[in-house]
Amino acid sequence: MHAFVELQNVRKVYRTGELEIHALRDVSFEINKGEFCVIVGASGAGKTTILNILGGMDTLTSGSAWLDGAEISAYTKRQLTAYRRYDVGFVFQFYNLVQNLTALENVELAAQICRDPLDAAEVLTQVGLADRMKNFPAQLSGGEQQRVAIARALAKNPKLLLCDEPTGALDYHTGKAVLKLLQDTCRSTGMTVVVITHNQALAAMADRIITVKNGTVENMRLNQHIVDVADIEW
Amino acid sequence: MLRRTTLREIRGSLGRYLAMLSIIALGVGFFSGVRETTPTMVHTVNEFWQAQQLYDLRLVSTLGWEDADVDALRTQPDVRYAEGSHSMDILCDGEEREFVLKAHSMPENINLVRLCEGRMPEKENECLLDADMNSTLGIGDTLRISESNDEDTKDALNGTEFTIVGMAESAYYFNHERGTTSIGNGSVAGFVYLPAAAFALDHYSEIFVRFDQDMQIFSDAYKDYTEEKTDVWETLTQEQAETRYTRVLTDAETELADGRAELEEQRADGQKELDDAAKELDDAKAELDDASKTITDGQKELDDSAKKLADSKTKLDDAAAQISDGETELAKAKKEITDGEQQLADAKAELDASEKKLTSSKAELDASEKQLTEGETALKDGQAQLDAAAADLETQAASLAAQEEALSAKEQELAAQLPYMDQLPAAQQAALQAAQAELTEGRTALEAGKAQIAAGRESLAQQQAALDAKKQELAEGRKAFEEGKKAYDAGAAQFAEGKAAYEASLATFTEGKAAYEKSAKELADARTAYETGMQQYEDGKQQYDKGVQELADGKKDYEEGLQTYNDGLADYEDGKAEFEEKIADAEAELADAEAELADLETPDTYVLDRSTNIGYACFESDSQIVEQVARVFPVFFILVAALVCMTTMSRMVEEQRTQIGTLKALGYSEAAIMGKFMFYSGSAALAGCVLGFAVGNVLFPSVIWMSYELMYIQLPLRFVFDWQLALLAAGASLLCSLGTTWAACRMELAETAAGLMRPKAPKAGKRVLLERIPFLWNRLKFLQKVSIRNIFRYKGRFFMMVIGIGGCTALLMTGFGIRDSIAGFADVQYGEIEVADASVTLASDLGEELPASLMAQLDDLTEEYLPLRQSSWDLSTDLRTRSVNLLTPSAADGLDHFLRLHTQAGEALPFPQSGEALISTSIADRWGVAAGDEITLRDSDLRKLHLRVTGVFENHVYDYVITPPETITAQLGAPPVWNTVYVNFPAQADVYQASADLAACEDVTNVSLYAELQARLGKMMSSLDYIVLLVILSAAGLAFIVLYNLTNINITERIREIATIKVLGFFRKETSAYVLRENLALTAAGILLGLGLGILLHRFVMAQIVVDMVSFRIRILPMSFVWSIVLTFVFNMIVNFFMGFKLERINMAESLKSVD
Repeated sequence: MHAFVELQNVRKVYRTGELEIHALRDVSFEINKGEFCVIVGASGAGKTTILNILGGMDTLTSGSAWLDGAEISAYTKRQLTAYRRYDVGFVFQFYNLVQNLTALENVELAAQICRDPLDAAEVLTQVGLADRMKNFPAQLSGGEQQRVAIARALAKNPKLLLCDEPTGALDYHTGKAVLKLLQDTCRSTGMTVVVITHNQALAAMADRIITVKNGTVENMRLNQHIVDVADIEW
Repeated sequence: MLRRTTLREIRGSLGRYLAMLSIIALGVGFFSGVRETTPTMVHTVNEFWQAQQLYDLRLVSTLGWEDADVDALRTQPDVRYAEGSHSMDILCDGEEREFVLKAHSMPENINLVRLCEGRMPEKENECLLDADMNSTLGIGDTLRISESNDEDTKDALNGTEFTIVGMAESAYYFNHERGTTSIGNGSVAGFVYLPAAAFALDHYSEIFVRFDQDMQIFSDAYKDYTEEKTDVWETLTQEQAETRYTRVLTDAETELADGRAELEEQRADGQKELDDAAKELDDAKAELDDASKTITDGQKELDDSAKKLADSKTKLDDAAAQISDGETELAKAKKEITDGEQQLADAKAELDASEKKLTSSKAELDASEKQLTEGETALKDGQAQLDAAAADLETQAASLAAQEEALSAKEQELAAQLPYMDQLPAAQQAALQAAQAELTEGRTALEAGKAQIAAGRESLAQQQAALDAKKQELAEGRKAFEEGKKAYDAGAAQFAEGKAAYEASLATFTEGKAAYEKSAKELADARTAYETGMQQYEDGKQQYDKGVQELADGKKDYEEGLQTYNDGLADYEDGKAEFEEKIADAEAELADAEAELADLETPDTYVLDRSTNIGYACFESDSQIVEQVARVFPVFFILVAALVCMTTMSRMVEEQRTQIGTLKALGYSEAAIMGKFMFYSGSAALAGCVLGFAVGNVLFPSVIWMSYELMYIQLPLRFVFDWQLALLAAGASLLCSLGTTWAACRMELAETAAGLMRPKAPKAGKRVLLERIPFLWNRLKFLQKVSIRNIFRYKGRFFMMVIGIGGCTALLMTGFGIRDSIAGFADVQYGEIEVADASVTLASDLGEELPASLMAQLDDLTEEYLPLRQSSWDLSTDLRTRSVNLLTPSAADGLDHFLRLHTQAGEALPFPQSGEALISTSIADRWGVAAGDEITLRDSDLRKLHLRVTGVFENHVYDYVITPPETITAQLGAPPVWNTVYVNFPAQADVYQASADLAACEDVTNVSLYAELQARLGKMMSSLDYIVLLVILSAAGLAFIVLYNLTNINITERIREIATIKVLGFFRKETSAYVLRENLALTAAGILLGLGLGILLHRFVMAQIVVDMVSFRIRILPMSFVWSIVLTFVFNMIVNFFMGFKLERINMAESLKSVD
């Protein structure tokens, strides 16, 4: 029996010509369903690789990755696509909204390919953008765009929400608001949320904190003193 | 440093760089390639022709030329070479049938042949054969001149067999056309070059002139030069020809006069000799005749004398016989005389006795006569008495009869009363009885009377009988008397006779006695004469024998003389015959020469320049086609290249925004920064230009040349390098790349460094017009909406794509359309319009009806035929005067078996009435004549025809006007004379054989098979297939480059977006569709534009392609539309297919990167 999310002895080696880069050496961790997990580490520690593997965007060299009882590391390319489509929601550092689509349409873009999507407009209302639905990304502020991105991820009703430096491109307050939104979502919907960040401060708000360093998990612990987002300073 | 980043930049975005390079290469390549094709081909052919010294002028005179003429013309200024040449059509024996070759004399300096294999002829009986000829003849084979050539041809050649020593190509025959001929099957199979010595001709058929210039063929300079020269040379040639004419005339006349004089002299000499001989012979003959006469006379004399001798002999013999006869007779006569004397004496005695007897008879007779006369008188008296008694008796008898009657009556009365007598008174009874008694008395008296009478009668009868007896007696007496009298008369006569006879005899006797005496004397004389005659005869005989001997000798001499004479005569006759023959020959020769001289007309001359050479003319028009096409297409490519550059560069500048800002912040000048982009685009443009120029200049001419090589002599291409064009191309491509770069950079560089450092706000999404139509917009699927919005988001790209794709479709349509229009027209012309199997050209002077022999041949060889008149007329329009063919079919019925008249839309046209005409589409199109117009035609005799056009019929080859024969009859006053016959051969017939048979007919000058024409035209036009292929390939290239470039830009630009949607879990197909659906939509839009554009472009291009005498059927078949659309889509699919891989390769990690 595996945990909801589980990585076992994952190794990832990139080959560039003669050179072998060991991005992940021996990564193992587990995340339970409904947890708000923060994976933290310095640049180049391997957290993005972990995100790629978890998100089904990359394969691993050895070891195994599991989500909800299924071994994603054994998926074929197509299965991985389906996995991304149905099971994972992404929030990118730079929002990655389609510029040519309105906020609502950006959400719909994701929603319309899912099996059991949430109503796009509702999700946008939930993230507080009821008024900006018809606006194009260029007409929205960074925080608003990130909210649209979150709404887009949520609308797919995924099993796992993966967020890559969601505040990286946002100012302090907006970042906080976004984090708050994520935490609230986790709490209110029971969605498993994984946030990847280099910001140690954010770890305080997580249920589970996984520290990555030099391609391996340095430390994984459950947070006994969960701090509210508003109280976190960085 | 900047350079290094630039080079790295190029390496990093090689695809984009290459795309830009290739579109410029394609543009330049197409532009320069198509531009240079004609010059390259012309240059190649020009070099060939210069090397082979193709003639500049060809001088033809109806009188031919001599070396003197050639020499004279050679001295003219500017002449490099002038050369007399023989040429003639000859029939040669082939494997199956004869074929016609054009025989030329080997050129020395002009129109040189190019040896393909073998060697040049060295001997008189060697030849070079056409390498292009479809024949089994090869080197080492023998070419046989056919027996069926006419005498002139056979005489013109020394020998009938030529060994083929080489296969050659000739500058004079640049394409495969060898022309037509009036002999054989009408078409020339090839050429053959024979050494000049093989021609037994005293004059050249033409002079070729090569001027001392090497101007480019077809160039204006050359055309002007030729025109100028032609003007001068026309006069020159005519003068030279007239000189030759005069010379020929003078020479011939002199020669003729000499010949005649010689003839006369010889004739006189011969005649004199003959006359002498004849005279001698005549003398001999006379002598002989004399001799013969002498002999004949002698013979005759001899014969006469012989005859005379014989006569005299006969006479002598007769005389001798007579003499002896005379002597016998004389003896006999003497005896007779003696006898006669006795007889006479006897007769005298007898006569005397008879006389005495006669006298006594006379007395007797007189007595009996007297007796008789008495008897007769008594008889007469008795008779008279008797008659009176008889009459008396009769009177008594009669009274008696009357008494009897009365008595009878009384008896009857009594008899009647008798029965009643008893009753009667007795008186009466007594009376009665008295009466009765009386009566009985009377009766008794009566009966007595009667008896008396009867007795009377009896005695009377007795008396009569006695009388009659007496009478009888008397009659007998009389008779006896008469007899006696008669006997007496006879005796008297006899006596008289006898007396006369006696007297006669006496006289005769006396005469005879005298005669006898005379005879006796004569006899004696005769004997004397006989003896003399006999003597003479003997002498004559002797003389005669001598004469006979003499004659025999003379005869022998004569025979000998005659023999000699006859021999002499025979010799003479032979000599005379020979002489006469010779004289006749000589005279005939002279007469021929005279006739020839009389026929000799002032020569017509023709100065023909190269444009009359079929290879030259064909090549000019063929190469022009490419040039005309070349004017249109490159525009597209240049336009598209500019668009591609612009898009690429603006994209690049946009991408490099931050870098520009950084560089600017670092203090680099704008120029330096711009230089980087300029270098990027400029180097791509230059490289593309060089590549395109190099490839295009080689590839295009090569491909097109490949197709031309099917029609012309194969020559290795001599490529030309046109500096001006190269500079133009380079300029254009640099302008279009640098210009667009400059424009793109200007905008960016205008911003401050800081502004540039900030990421440029992504281009805002925009609503499109369609969204304002909810009715439509709401029906679209979500992703379709996205695509539509994307399409309109990048307007530049949109237009470029639509223009590029539209151009591609338009090019395809034009390409296919050219093929449809050109390839089709021969099929249409001969499959739907001129459907006859062949057209037969007749001799010109056949009259209104076809000759029966020809009709029989036509009936025999063809399924059906239709005579018609075909003549050339000038049609004057506002534009200019145009020569057209006037067709006058002999009948409207059945014409559609040979020529179908219908409009371009396919509707059948009614045959025109008198004064009306149908015209072909080419006339209508080019000269603006329409149905309902009046046209006037004029022929070379300035006769006019006024016609009302009733319709325009589809026709693509030649310009035709059709009118019925009635028009001609009505307007020209005479019915048309048929000079052409349309024929259809039987379905199974070998048309080539049949046409050859027809061509062999008298009255037929030429037979052209439409199948051959069709094939020839088809072949001519097949070169265009390559051009079409080239156009299609270029269109494909265009489509690929545009699509690739734009899609590439599209993908690069939206790489994050694509990565994001991949992360979002779009399947491969969905991702492709998300991006490439736009391509498809743009392609569809482009195709729509292209269809319209294609029709226009096609029309424009077709208007540029002008081929003489041919009008194309401007059309694009529905299939070509389909193909153009399908092919454009296919190109799109192919690009999309490859782009799919590119999409696939997009790393999703890109989505995690920041916007740079």
